[in-house]
Amino acid sequence: MDFSSVFSNLILGFTVAMSAQNLLYCFIGCLLGTLIGVLPGIGPVATIAMLLPITFNLPPIPALIMLAGIYYGASYGGSTTAILVNLPGESSSVVTCIDGYQMGRQGRAGPALAIAALGSFFAGCVGTVLIALFGPPLAELAFEFGAAEYFSMMVLGLIAAVVLASGSLIKAIGMIVIGLLGGIVGTDVNSGIARYSFGVSELSDGIGFVSVAMGMFGFGEIISNLGQTSETKHIEVSKVHSLMPTWEDIKVSIGPIMRGTALGTIFGILPGSHTVIASFSSYTLEKKLAKDPSRFGKGAIEGVAGPESANNASAQTCFIPLLTLGIPTGAVMALMVGAMTIQGIAPGPQVMTQKPDLFWGMIASMWIGNLMLVILNLPLIGMWVQFLKIPYRVLFPSILLFIAIGAYSINNSPFEVYMAALFGFFGYYASKWGCEAAPLILGFVLGPLMEENLRRAMLISRGDPSVFFTRPISLGMLLVSFALLLMVVMPQFQKKREILAEADD
Amino acid sequence: MAFHNRDRKDFNAGIMYMVIGGFFAGFATNYPMGTAVRMGPAYFPTILGALLVFLGVVLLFRSFGATDAELPTKTHWRPLLCIIGAACLFAALIGPAGMVVASAVMMLVGAFGGWDFRWKEQLIGMIVMPAVCVGIFYYGLGLPFKLFPWS
Repeated sequence: MDFSSVFSNLILGFTVAMSAQNLLYCFIGCLLGTLIGVLPGIGPVATIAMLLPITFNLPPIPALIMLAGIYYGASYGGSTTAILVNLPGESSSVVTCIDGYQMGRQGRAGPALAIAALGSFFAGCVGTVLIALFGPPLAELAFEFGAAEYFSMMVLGLIAAVVLASGSLIKAIGMIVIGLLGGIVGTDVNSGIARYSFGVSELSDGIGFVSVAMGMFGFGEIISNLGQTSETKHIEVSKVHSLMPTWEDIKVSIGPIMRGTALGTIFGILPGSHTVIASFSSYTLEKKLAKDPSRFGKGAIEGVAGPESANNASAQTCFIPLLTLGIPTGAVMALMVGAMTIQGIAPGPQVMTQKPDLFWGMIASMWIGNLMLVILNLPLIGMWVQFLKIPYRVLFPSILLFIAIGAYSINNSPFEVYMAALFGFFGYYASKWGCEAAPLILGFVLGPLMEENLRRAMLISRGDPSVFFTRPISLGMLLVSFALLLMVVMPQFQKKREILAEADD
Repeated sequence: MAFHNRDRKDFNAGIMYMVIGGFFAGFATNYPMGTAVRMGPAYFPTILGALLVFLGVVLLFRSFGATDAELPTKTHWRPLLCIIGAACLFAALIGPAGMVVASAVMMLVGAFGGWDFRWKEQLIGMIVMPAVCVGIFYYGLGLPFKLFPWS
C-alpha cells in the first residue's frame, strides 16, 4: 500500500472540503439532517429523499457533501431521540433506546448523549481513514471486472441485503424483484422501445426512484404511524442537566467504543448489511464481556457507547462499496447513487481516477461532518429537545407538504407527486403484509444496471450462461450468495433474524 | 387446510406478487423477446415476472400451512384516504392554482387523517407552512414555482 499517495490524496481532499462553500454545505447538511432526523417517525431514507431536491441546483461536489452530511445528521438525530424519549428515529437506534433511555430517566441523559457523540466521532474518524486506505486498491480491483463479475456482484449485493435484513426472506426477494421490474420501466437503451409506459410520456423516462422512496418511506410511513396510534401520545422528554460524562464513564466506555467501531467497520463493508446488525452485535458483545451483565437494560453506559460507535462506523464504511465498485448496499446508498446520477456522475471505480477532487473531497468532508456533529449537537441539544415536544398531529401535515414539494421539484411536474402518492399507497399495504420497502428501493436502482450487464455478459459469451460460473471472481460471488441463502435456512441463524425482526417493528 | 386458517399476510402478499409478476411477464409479450445472445426488451422482464409469480405461489402455499395464523392489521381508511388524497390534490392544484393554495389545501386535507384534529392548530399551520415553504423553495432555492392562481 502506498501511504504517501494516500496522504497526498487526503490533503487534496481536505483542500476541497475546507473551501468556504463546501464547509457551508456540509454544515447545512448536518444541521438539516439532524433537524429532520430528530423528528420522530422519519428515518434517514425519508430524510434524504425529502431533502434530495434541495441539492439539485448545486454543483456535484457541494451537492454530495451536503447529502453525506444529511445522512450523518439523520443517523445522529435518531440516537438523540432514542436517548431522550425512548423513540428510535431509525431501526439502528433501537439498541440505544434500551440503556440510553434508562440513563436518561436516571438523570444521566447528558453523559449518554455525550458518550454517544464522542463514540460516533471516534468511529467516524476510523471509518474515514479506512476508506482512504482501502478505497484505491479496491477500485483497482474493480477495473478488472467484466460484465459477468458486475452481474454476479449485484446478485450478491441483493442477496446479502435480504439475508441480513429482517423479516421473511421470500417476501424480501419478491420486493427486490418488484424493484428490479419497476426500475426497467421506460425506454430500453438497446431497442429504443418504451417499456411499460402505456403512452405516458413521463413514464418513458422511467419511474423516478426518488418519488418512489418519498412515497414508500414518506407517505407510507406516515399513514402507518397515524394508523398505529389512535390517541395522543404523551412524550416524556428526559431532562438534560449536564453534558459532562464523569471520568468513570469515559474509562468504562473506551473499550466498548473500540470494539463497536471494529464490529461496525466490518459490517459496513459487507454488501447489503444493515447498521442494525452492527449495533445489535456490539450490544450483545458488550453484555457478554461485562463483569455484571445484569446492569444492562438498567442504564449501562457501555450499552450506549458500543452500539452507537458500531452504528456510525458502519454508516461510514458502507460508502466503500458505493465509491469503489459503484454498488449501493442499502436504501440510503441507493439514494446516493440516484443523487450521483442526477449530477451526471456514474458511480464506480472511475470516479476516483477521473474526479479525484470529488472522491477525496467527499471523504474529507465525512470527517469534517463528524466533527461538526459533535460541535453542533452537544450545545444544540436543548433546541432538539424543543423539537421533540412538538406533537405528531401538528408535525405530520408539514412533513406531507415537504414531501409533496420535494417530489414536485424533481422535474417541476405534478406527475412525480402522483407517483409518490401511488407508491405511498402501495408501500402502506406492502408493509402491512410484511413486505419491506428497503429491498425494493435497492432493486429499483440496480434494475437497469443488472439488465445491462446481463445482456453484455451474454453477448460476449455468445449466449452461454456458464460464463458466470467459469470466471473465478464471478463464481466466487455466486458461491457466497448461495452460502448466504443456505445460512438463512439454518435454525440457529433463523432465531437471530427473528430477534432483529422484532427490533425492527 | 381450512380456508379460514390461512396466514392472511402471506396470502395477500402472495396474491400481490402473482398479480404484479403476471402483469409484467404478460405485458412483455408485446415486446420482442430476442435471444440469449441478443436479448430483446422482453427478455429480462419475462424472467423476473415469472420469478415473482413463482415466489407468489410459494407464499400462497405457505399461507395455508400456517399453524399460527397472523392477521394483518385492519386498513386504516381515514389516514390512507386523507394522505393519498392530500397528495393527489396537491398535484392537481399546483398547476392551475399555484403553490400557496395547493399547500394550504394539502395540509388541511392531510390533517384530517390524524387522530386528533384541532382547528386552531391546523389553521395556523395552513398559514405558516406555505409561507415558510415559499420562503425556502421559491426565494431561498430559486425553484420556479407558480405562487398564486393569478400569477
